[in-house]
Amino acid sequence: MERRDLEQAIGRLLGPAGPEVSCDTCFAELDRYVELEVAGKDADAAVPGLRAHLDGCSACREEHDSLRALVSGERPA
Amino acid sequence: MSSATTSVRDLLPSAPVAAGPPSPLDAESQGLLNALRGSGRAYDEACARLHELLLRAAKFEISRRAWGLPAAEAEDLANEAADDALVAVLRRLDDFQGLSRLTTWVYKFGIYEAAVKVRKRAWRDREIPLEPEAWGLLPSGTKGPEDGLEETELLTALTASIENDLTPHQRRVLVALALNGVPIDVLAERLSTTRGALYKTLHDARVKLRKRLAEQGLSLEAWEGTN
Repeated sequence: MERRDLEQAIGRLLGPAGPEVSCDTCFAELDRYVELEVAGKDADAAVPGLRAHLDGCSACREEHDSLRALVSGERPA
Repeated sequence: MSSATTSVRDLLPSAPVAAGPPSPLDAESQGLLNALRGSGRAYDEACARLHELLLRAAKFEISRRAWGLPAAEAEDLANEAADDALVAVLRRLDDFQGLSRLTTWVYKFGIYEAAVKVRKRAWRDREIPLEPEAWGLLPSGTKGPEDGLEETELLTALTASIENDLTPHQRRVLVALALNGVPIDVLAERLSTTRGALYKTLHDARVKLRKRLAEQGLSLEAWEGTN
């Protein structure tokens, strides 16, 4: 296993270091968080723990990335 | 280490979400909301508009995640997701506080329903590996002598902690989600539980592992931020 792969595997096992919100809170706050991000504002200060959750939960991260892309007007790949 | 003592739920009541005063809604959003809280033809037209928005979000998500899906099946999946999302939006309409645009709030339901369906579709015919022996892949690779020592020490401690400190349920969830890449929604369905409950289990397992490694003086800094 390459070191990069190993780092990713260990990262997935250990998850984010800081406090994080739950999946339910992530979903509840996601629209506001994304709009703040797209507007260039400090979304992490407005919703503490949501970024850490996105680092640890791949499903919520995928949905965040899609919502952000949709709101930003990106075309799907 | 703060994460060793802070649980997901601990954060919830104390997480001050800096909401601020709600922004005034744009005219279209306000009109849509009023119609959805009413009845008759205006309500039906508002539901149709909601469904359009949800279908757009569902198709967007499916086009990002489900390449190779036959067009007719992708269309069906998007319509199913939009239908389910419409029910969820109408049920949770009172949750909308105007802290984002109504369209953004609606889109997240369409994306969520489509994402879950895509994940379940992708794993429809696949076996879900739940047994701990499936994680034998982890300790296999050390590179040079310097990296090898550091990695071997960490992996040995991590392996021991997974085996000794976690409950069987925590071990099963951790291995499936973090090592075998089983989508959380797929595992939740298989175990008859929810995404939130599974993530809480995963979080608690991670806290135990971090706590044990910290007790052994192992530095995790080199491994952070690489999920």
